Amino acid sequence: MRISDYIEQSFSNLWKKKLRTFLTTCGVAIGIGALVSMISFGKGIQKNITDTFTELELFNYITVSSASGEDQMAEHSDESEKKENQAEPIHVLNEEFIQKVTKINGVQSAFPEIRFPALIRFEQEEKFSLVQVLPSNVCRSELVKLRAGKSYESDQQDSLIVSDSFLHSMKIKEPEAVIGQTIEISTLTFDLSLFDLTNAVSVLQGTKLPFSKQSYTFTIVGVAERMGFAGPMPLRSDVFIPPAASEKMEKLSLTSIWDFFQTLEQTKGYSAVNVRLRSAKYIEPVKAQIEDWGFKTFALVDQLHEIKTGFIFMDMFLFAVGMIAITVASLGIINTMVMSILERYRDIGIMKAVGATDKDVKRIFFFESGAIGFWGGVFGLALGWVVSIVINLVINYFLAKQGVPYVNYFSFPWWLCLGAIAFSILISLAAGIYPASRAARVDPVVALRHD
Amino acid sequence: MNHSNLVETENLTKVYASGKIKVVALENVNLSVEPGEFLGVTGPSGSGKSTLMNLLGGLDTPSAGRIRVQGRFISELNKYELALYRRHQVGMIFQSFNIISSYTALENVAFPLLFAGVPKKNRNQRAAEILTVVGLSARKDHRPSELSGGEQQRVAIARALINQPKILLADEPTGNLDSGTSAQIVQTLANLNKNHHLTVIMISHEESLQQKFADRVIRLCDGKIVEEQ
Repeated sequence: MRISDYIEQSFSNLWKKKLRTFLTTCGVAIGIGALVSMISFGKGIQKNITDTFTELELFNYITVSSASGEDQMAEHSDESEKKENQAEPIHVLNEEFIQKVTKINGVQSAFPEIRFPALIRFEQEEKFSLVQVLPSNVCRSELVKLRAGKSYESDQQDSLIVSDSFLHSMKIKEPEAVIGQTIEISTLTFDLSLFDLTNAVSVLQGTKLPFSKQSYTFTIVGVAERMGFAGPMPLRSDVFIPPAASEKMEKLSLTSIWDFFQTLEQTKGYSAVNVRLRSAKYIEPVKAQIEDWGFKTFALVDQLHEIKTGFIFMDMFLFAVGMIAITVASLGIINTMVMSILERYRDIGIMKAVGATDKDVKRIFFFESGAIGFWGGVFGLALGWVVSIVINLVINYFLAKQGVPYVNYFSFPWWLCLGAIAFSILISLAAGIYPASRAARVDPVVALRHD
Repeated sequence: MNHSNLVETENLTKVYASGKIKVVALENVNLSVEPGEFLGVTGPSGSGKSTLMNLLGGLDTPSAGRIRVQGRFISELNKYELALYRRHQVGMIFQSFNIISSYTALENVAFPLLFAGVPKKNRNQRAAEILTVVGLSARKDHRPSELSGGEQQRVAIARALINQPKILLADEPTGNLDSGTSAQIVQTLANLNKNHHLTVIMISHEESLQQKFADRVIRLCDGKIVEEQ
């Protein structure tokens, strides 16, 4: 028999039992749809994370922190270890370090992580937030993804960039609407004039602390997309200002309660310095050099292997869930094909009487299983795609209320589309092995006598 | 064995086992059919006529003895070779017609060519030609349910002839037909026998038809040839 005849025969035979074929194909389509949407969700999450990291060039950053500080305090809670650490020399992250680190081969730039608490006032709304000092060159890099406006041109300007989630918390939905508008930043300063004898008792009781606020006006030049990932990232605030503007401001750079516990030496430096590399290949040598100087480093690329392992486990879990639906669909195919054999028992006898070989009969039923798999795969892919669109819309609808920008949580790479159809055919052929073998074994003498 | 014979059987025996009980359907049957002969086979129910037909048609294999067709021992062929034998050397028609109800007359006739790998266009062309030979060209697009018994049997005859076999085996071809139609069908077989030099082996209860059209008639009883005319 010719391949085209097998295909024509299989489709023709299935068409004769439209309802049964439709129901069986629906079973396969639901199974494949579930599998496809599960895998595409897994791949979509992976793609979003890796694409964002790559787009923002986060793999090119090393975050350096001094070997003491809040992390160390948290990690080394043991008393004896604390004593040991105190004995070690304190490495300060200062301008000298930045100058030194930028001379290492592969380092493009380095900037300190300076953040301070402030009260942000825009129109009638007020909100406490951490303001981050960000050099203009970093601001213009891929790291800052602007949704509206532009980055500030120089480090001298009294301009700032706010995040979209910050605007959302201020109930502003259109990022473009705030460009060019002024915003007030009030910082906390230590006011000695409040520290007189009349206040001494209150100060000691902690009720009237000698702090006052200073207000500064900035112009909003850009709205950045909020980085949705936690951890030691280069950007960790909602408001970004240039270094020169920051220097002019009187402020207390306290970001947490741990800052009060730092020694004088420790408070001299920055809490962290972000080092930007020309490419990720310089990560290892630069890290080794910085660690030799006695600093702690963190590079996102180090976490990549663990992230990938996590993705594999997630894929396996989603695949297993999808396979349950596929298994049920396979049983449906076996049932349909066995029913078909019983109904066409006499026809199988006729086939053999007119010269069909066992192989011909087997292939006819195999092709029918494969045809169910093909259509199940095609419809399943379409179903999975539609389901993913609906789920995506629902998720984004709820997340948009929290100011999260639109993200496509599903990914349909070409290999998933082709693979889904191929897998569906493969599973259907596997399900057709028993029925096809049974059809091939039919005794023509018995079959021709069958009513 | 005589090599001039088209079909020959030598001590052909078929035993069916049903649990511990053995049923002898054919016992030491020695039969020879010459090319172009019209052989009639008759006998009571259970005499082994259909078993003989199934063995000659390659649908079944003997328990003992040999069958030689056109110089080849078909009793020694494997399943695949038997399928090819059925496809190319022998055509079969049955009492219950055995045509596929969901196919048209044309599709039924063209069906054996499907397994021979003949392209669809050629299949349909040849099937249409054969349907003309059996007088059914006007009914080629009709399904079996729209055809009379005689027409259905003629579709079955056309299908049996599509691969141009040397032998036509007819197992009670008139069993489901009225006497007038039965005579027409046997006449068709006789014409094919005479005009196309087709060897016909026909089982029939109707001895009058056998006597009228067959060159020779054998009678089977309890699996043995008991009479030859």
